Amino acid sequence: MRESSGSAAAYHLGRHLPFALSLAGGLALWELVGRESSPAFLVPFSTTMERLWELLVGGTLVAETLDSAGLFATGFLLSVVVGIAAGLVLARVQVLRVALEPYIMILYATPMVALIPFILSLMGFGFIPKVLVVFLFGVFPVLYNTVEGARSIKPEMLEVARSFRSGERALWRDVMLPYTLPFAMTGIRLAIGRCLVGMVAAEFFLSSNGLGQLIMSASQNFDTGGLFAAITVICLIGVGLMRLGFALESRFAHWRK
Amino acid sequence: MSSAETNAAARIRVRGLAKRYGAFEVFRDVAFDVGQREVVTIVGASGCGKTTLLRCLDGLLPADGGEIWIDAQRLAAPIAGVAMVFQHFGLFPWKTVYDNVAYGLRMAGASREEIGRRVPHFIALVGLAGFEQAYPYQMSGGMQQRCGLARALAIDPAVLLMDEPFAAVDAQTREILQFELLRIWEGKPTSMIFVTHSIEEAVLMGDRVFVLKGRPSRVAETIAIDLPRPRTRATLRLPRFAELRERVWSTLMSEARQAEFQLSGG
Repeated sequence: MRESSGSAAAYHLGRHLPFALSLAGGLALWELVGRESSPAFLVPFSTTMERLWELLVGGTLVAETLDSAGLFATGFLLSVVVGIAAGLVLARVQVLRVALEPYIMILYATPMVALIPFILSLMGFGFIPKVLVVFLFGVFPVLYNTVEGARSIKPEMLEVARSFRSGERALWRDVMLPYTLPFAMTGIRLAIGRCLVGMVAAEFFLSSNGLGQLIMSASQNFDTGGLFAAITVICLIGVGLMRLGFALESRFAHWRK
Repeated sequence: MSSAETNAAARIRVRGLAKRYGAFEVFRDVAFDVGQREVVTIVGASGCGKTTLLRCLDGLLPADGGEIWIDAQRLAAPIAGVAMVFQHFGLFPWKTVYDNVAYGLRMAGASREEIGRRVPHFIALVGLAGFEQAYPYQMSGGMQQRCGLARALAIDPAVLLMDEPFAAVDAQTREILQFELLRIWEGKPTSMIFVTHSIEEAVLMGDRVFVLKGRPSRVAETIAIDLPRPRTRATLRLPRFAELRERVWSTLMSEARQAEFQLSGG
C-alpha cells in the first residue's frame, strides 16, 4: 500500500517536476530582467504581484474582472447558441448552405479586429457593440465545425435509424445531435480563445471599463506594475478557460477513436 | 417439420420485384415466399444485388416494380416487426451496449418498464451480460455484432433480416457466432432472410438457399437444405452437408467462372 502510493507520488513528481522547474525558472528570469530594466518598460515579478495585491484589495481588479466576465460570458454564450443552431440548420438545408458558404468562409477568415472601427462608427460605445465584437470573434468556429460535423455523419447511421423507424425528432435527439456535439465542442474550444481576444479588443476600443481598459489606462499612466497585473489576470483566465474547453471536448468526444 | 408445413402460411411474399439504378438493372422478376419459421439464405457473386434486395425487404429502398408483403401488410417503408442486423454492425458509438439494445424498443414506443425488462434479457441472451455499460469502441467486432443482434431481437421481430452479419469478424469468431445464432433461433424460430458470401454458412443456416444469378439477377436456383435441426457443429460433419455445399458451390461457380473469363468490353 505504502509502496504503491510512494511510486504514484514519484510518478507525479517525475511528470510535473520539469513543468514546475520551468515555471520557477521563467519567473526568476522575469524577476532578474525586471530589476535591471527601466520601470517604464518592465517591472519585476515581485512588483507585479504587489501591484496585483493592491488592485485586488482596492476592489478595482474584482470590479473590472466581473465587468469583463459579463461581457465574455454574454458574447460567448451567444456565439455558442447561434453557432450550433445555425450550423445544424445549414447542415440540413442545402440551399441555404450553398448560398451562405462564401460569407461564412470570408468572415471566418477575416481578422475580426478589422471590423471594430466599423462597429464603433455604427453603434458607438456601450455593452451591445462590445457583445457583438465578442460574438463575431466566437461564432464562426462554432458554426463552421457544427456544419462540417453534422454533414460528416455516415449514411449507415441514418439508415439504422430509418430501419428502426425513427421519427424526425428522435433522429435529431438520438443520432444527429450526439454525433455532431463533439465537432461543435471543438468549435467551442476554439471560440473560447477567440472570444477572449475579442473581449480585450472590444474593451480597448469600445469601453471605459473592463480588464482591457485596465491595461490601456495603466499603460497610459506609466503604471507598468498595473499593466502586468492585468495581463497576468487575463493570462490566468485564458489558461483556465482553455483547460475547461479541453475538458468539455473530451467529455463529449470520448467515443471518437 | 416438413417444408410444406413451414410454408403453409408464408410470412413474406415477394412478387415480381425489380430494382434498377438508372439504366443499370440490379434484379428483375424476383419472387419467393418465406414461411413463418423458415430460414432462407441468399448467396450470389459480388454485386449481384443481395444486399440491395435485403434493403428493399426492410423498406429502406423503394423497389421499381413488384410487391413485398409481410403478413397482410404491403411494404412501402420500414414497418414494425422487421429487424435488420447490419454487416457494419450499425451501433451508435456514443451509446452504451444497454442504450444501443434499448434503441429499437424506444423507437417502437415501448414503455420504460418494458425496456427495463427486455433489454437485460436480450443482452444476456447474446452473451453480453456484464458489458451493459461498455461502449462499442471498447469491444471486439464479435461483441459488437452480438450487440447488434440483441438490438434486433429485442423488438421481438417476426422477420429478421441479416445482411452478411458475420462478414466483418474473424473466422473463429464467425464460427462461434453462427452457432450462437442457431441456438438463439432454435429458442424462438422466426422468419429469417440471411445474406452471405459464405456457401458453408448458407447451407448451415438455411432451410433453403437461393442462388442469385444473371444480369439483371434473379433467383436462379432454390436448393432445399434437408439437414436435421437443431444444427450444431456435428452438422458440419454430415456427408449430406458436404453434398449440399458442393451443389450450391457448383451452381454458383458455373456462372462465376464464365464471368471471370469474360473479356471486358466484349
